[in-house]
Amino acid sequence: MLDIRNLHTYYGTSHIIQGIDLKIENGEVVGVFGRNGVGKSTLMKAIAGWIKPARGEIVFNGERIDGQSADRVARRGIGFVPEDRRIFPGLSVEENLTLGFLQVPGRSSADNRKALDRIYARFPRLMERREQNGTTLSGGEQQMLAMARVMIGKPTLLLIDEPSEGLAPMIVADLFTIIREMKEAGCAILLVEQNVHQALTACDRFVVIERGRIVLSGDARSKTDCDRLMETIAF
Amino acid sequence: MMTAAIEYFQFVLAPQILIGLVLGVAVILVALGLTIIFGLLDVINMSHGEFYALGAFIALALASVGLPFWLLLLLVPLIMLPVGYIVERGLIQRVFHSGERHVTTLLLTFGLGLVMEDAFRLVFGPNPQKPPVPIAGAIDVFGVFLPLYRLFLILGGAAVVALVALVVYRTRLGAMVRAAAFDRHMAASLGVPVQHVYAGAFAFGVALAGLAGVMLAPIYSVFPTMGRDFILMAFTVVIVGGMGSIAGVVVAGLLLTQVQAISSLYISPVWSDPIVFGIMVIMLMVRPQGLFGRLGHG
Repeated sequence: MLDIRNLHTYYGTSHIIQGIDLKIENGEVVGVFGRNGVGKSTLMKAIAGWIKPARGEIVFNGERIDGQSADRVARRGIGFVPEDRRIFPGLSVEENLTLGFLQVPGRSSADNRKALDRIYARFPRLMERREQNGTTLSGGEQQMLAMARVMIGKPTLLLIDEPSEGLAPMIVADLFTIIREMKEAGCAILLVEQNVHQALTACDRFVVIERGRIVLSGDARSKTDCDRLMETIAF
Repeated sequence: MMTAAIEYFQFVLAPQILIGLVLGVAVILVALGLTIIFGLLDVINMSHGEFYALGAFIALALASVGLPFWLLLLLVPLIMLPVGYIVERGLIQRVFHSGERHVTTLLLTFGLGLVMEDAFRLVFGPNPQKPPVPIAGAIDVFGVFLPLYRLFLILGGAAVVALVALVVYRTRLGAMVRAAAFDRHMAASLGVPVQHVYAGAFAFGVALAGLAGVMLAPIYSVFPTMGRDFILMAFTVVIVGGMGSIAGVVVAGLLLTQVQAISSLYISPVWSDPIVFGIMVIMLMVRPQGLFGRLGHG
């Protein structure tokens, strides 16, 4: 589904991603771990079209998407929930959600309505607060809104960056339930998360990034691989 | 005493307030497009005054072949839309992503304005031309003589502002514009075609300038440098109101033109411009973000 080959990105003169190769298959959940500043979020942004890679290829469903604009990447079926949620101030919860319709061009109004109803059924709290300004929601609700407005476009690959950051444990548990539901629905997920133990409960595979390179990859269900993961990220 | 106060209001203050109101609506019409372009693209469009003049010249040209004024109110903005779209995609976008974006776009649009102004002079000549006033006659408003066309300008201007606010704040298109204004990356990741939204918003701002040109031509005449007359005041309104704020344009537009109109009753009118620009300077020092927030910033 997603094939990243020898990816390099820069911020000015800083070489952030230094040759990453990564494949994600249909319906697979891959965790991306590593310390702050090693290039995890940059990797997500490069896939989502926020950053133009300097070298390398990003191939999605057989077509190169590196260098394409973020809206074209979104319309190809790649959803992105960035680190800081980025809810639009001044837009109501429903306006934030309905912007997500644009991920599926050509979908009829009736189907859009059904998609919105499904989201409200899954997130009743958003339904209750649909007229409210999105930025007045609690942190957990904002994270749900950030997930929901991407889910409304039924992406086939979802990029989620640090979803549990700053959230209460109960909300984090809800969040991972949603991630597992997305996986069961056939959506592939690339998950950047500091809460490694929680993330491993949802992942099939994982990779560890250090200084812009993948230094370890493994099976999330293998105890040996998970032990190596813990040793690697402990230092 | 009471009678004298009423008479003072009726014969001195009220006519000045009405003059200020007409000027206020005119300035708001010009500043509206300017603030939308700034709020969304973060581009200070120095050629906005020339787009206002272009609208007036197009109206003049079309009126000379017999098209009625009322049709021009619709037709000229429709002609200006593709002009604005092409300018944004062909010129602004080329330098939009450079590191020195603010300076480059400012200089680019300044240069474009100079070229347009000279082109107007070459094509239409340097002399002012005054189209006929489309509505003749006047009414008595609480004892104040008000030409009907100026009344139309006040009501028409209010309708245009209401329509623009409705589109920006009550439609899905407006939600796209506000989202792209606040966070273009996130908006794009939800499928919003940000580059087309930018070009569309620029075109919309230019079309509004063109509409202002059509509406104001019968009052202020049409000549190559006509854009300069309003653009300084329009920039002042945008800065005082809050760059990118529609409400800010309305409030600051009405406020500053009233200050201008009423102050000229008591001091020499020569001082009314320095007072207004002084308010802008004070606002920039005390509250640089203006009276209201930016478009898309809540």
